[in-house]
Amino acid sequence: MIAVLALVVAQAQPVTPSASTMNPDIALLVDVAAAAFSKDEPFQSGEHDPHGNGFTLQQAELSLGKSVDPYFRLDSFIVFGGDHVELEEAYATTLALPGNLQVRAGQFLTRIGRVNPTHPHGWDFVDQPLILGRLFGGEGNRGPGLEASWLAPLPWFAEIIASSNKVDPDGTVRSPLDLQNSVILKQFFPLSDAWSLLWGMSSAFGPDAQIYGGDLYLKFRPLGPSHTMVALQTEWYVRRRQVPDDTVEDGGGYASLVWRFARRWGLAGRYERVADIDRVGANVTFWPSEFSRLRLQGSTENADGERGWAGFLAFEVVIGAHGAHPF
Amino acid sequence: MRTIVLVVFLLALAPGLARAEIKVVATVPALAAVAREVGGRFVSVKTLTRANQDPHFVDARPSLALDLNRANLILVVGLNLEAGWLPTLLTGARNGDIQPGSRGYLDCAQFVDLLEVHDQPVDRSMGDIHPGGNPHYLNEPRAAAAVARGIAARFGELDPQHREQFQAQLAAFGKKLEAARTGWESRLAPFKGTPVVAYHRTWVYLSRWVGLEEVEFLEPKPGIPPNPAHIAHLLVSARQRKVRAILQEDYYPDATSRLVAEKIPVPLVKVPGGPDFQGGQSYVDYMARVVDILEKGLRAP
Repeated sequence: MIAVLALVVAQAQPVTPSASTMNPDIALLVDVAAAAFSKDEPFQSGEHDPHGNGFTLQQAELSLGKSVDPYFRLDSFIVFGGDHVELEEAYATTLALPGNLQVRAGQFLTRIGRVNPTHPHGWDFVDQPLILGRLFGGEGNRGPGLEASWLAPLPWFAEIIASSNKVDPDGTVRSPLDLQNSVILKQFFPLSDAWSLLWGMSSAFGPDAQIYGGDLYLKFRPLGPSHTMVALQTEWYVRRRQVPDDTVEDGGGYASLVWRFARRWGLAGRYERVADIDRVGANVTFWPSEFSRLRLQGSTENADGERGWAGFLAFEVVIGAHGAHPF
Repeated sequence: MRTIVLVVFLLALAPGLARAEIKVVATVPALAAVAREVGGRFVSVKTLTRANQDPHFVDARPSLALDLNRANLILVVGLNLEAGWLPTLLTGARNGDIQPGSRGYLDCAQFVDLLEVHDQPVDRSMGDIHPGGNPHYLNEPRAAAAVARGIAARFGELDPQHREQFQAQLAAFGKKLEAARTGWESRLAPFKGTPVVAYHRTWVYLSRWVGLEEVEFLEPKPGIPPNPAHIAHLLVSARQRKVRAILQEDYYPDATSRLVAEKIPVPLVKVPGGPDFQGGQSYVDYMARVVDILEKGLRAP
């Protein structure tokens, strides 16, 4: 009888899991920049870019993420701008599908290229590449949708990603062809302990445009007591659009070189070409720790023979969980 | 023709059938070395990092996700040591068997009598600290023995057929390590109470075991690189406290440590950050090397 009673008591008082293990991982990240432009209407194409002289709150990004159950994890990014709040991403990722498959569902940035799937925290420059704004708009290529990816059973890393998204919030969808359907291939080659090569090919088919792109990421990071890192990254795109009685083609891309020469210091340079605009920029970055960053950047562009310049001083801090960086 | 095809097919299948071993992936080489001792020929072991890599800062190369994709068991140091790179790899691995909370995920910190567990609230103004305890326990033989017991138990759960073999291999490893430890302890006994300076808080377990007294760290706060003001303070305090050596792992830069060691002056003692697992070095060989280097460095006048 006592034993039964003890059992009942034991069941009535389950062990309370500690709050820290049940709460999602929470982080708040703030990017603020001071900017100076030579033109009144500069060419910044990203929603989080500094847009005019003076100070810009690029974003305050609140991220919440955790495993849902043994089958899914949920990641979300809520961005507070100067005068608005928006849900940047909120998606579930499967963790245990058979056959090397993974599915993401929700609102997410598609995995086209290198920069599009990332947030300003992961960027090597204060502003996003011009080509992304030109092709996808200020918020990048994203929208509610469904993505399936497959890790091929090959000796090297090869991932095929297929995704369908409603990228135009106001678009009318009468058939799946009115959505944006993309197919992406990513391959990774560990050339040596120090050298890595990631190569991607992207294609996206929307209701009135097709986009084809290629990206390359070559990284040198020696093992041992050094924080040296050199990385070459480049993305190029071609877009075909149907207009009445014709097809218009445009495109562009960028190439950047990043050199982290000390634990806390790095240099980066970028060349961009989009239609009739050329832009060259360079920056120096100081990281007091992994959780704060100070970046001074200058750039000059030549648009149809007209020259302009821009200077930024950007500052980023993050508190809370600091998620792992993708490669 | 049909028979040949069948035979070729069966032959192609045979190695897969014969290799029913547990595919183990460890985040650091010391865990891999312990797993290899305990698992013997019933497991295959890979490590995601090398001894000369700082385990705090690892690139999440997609090739590592591929190793995890094919693994039955992941061994982690835990206490957030791998927080900066492992989670993204685990999600990308698409392997439900090794996600946190499943049987194929073993957090080895649970087996260790942890130090520097923060009961009081902590924040990052104190540096990049690990609130759950100090994760650098694998350079202490008693902690390694405890981890080996935990790994053997998990191996037995995953492959019950070979449970006895795992226990026998665990016992053999424990005996070898125990015998070596007694020898190391008597060699290091003269250094009990020796004041030292360490680069990062990677020595707390080893220091407790040997009886070294860590009076200062080259980093002003965990994860913050040395700065001139701190070094100036450290030079004075190290001389006052009669520090005998500066200790650090191979994977930390040594320009500042060299300078400080010359100025005090004391020897700079650099040890490998883990066993050379790919080169076949065992855990006992690695610890023997650490003890050798330590003995030589601390004995120097």
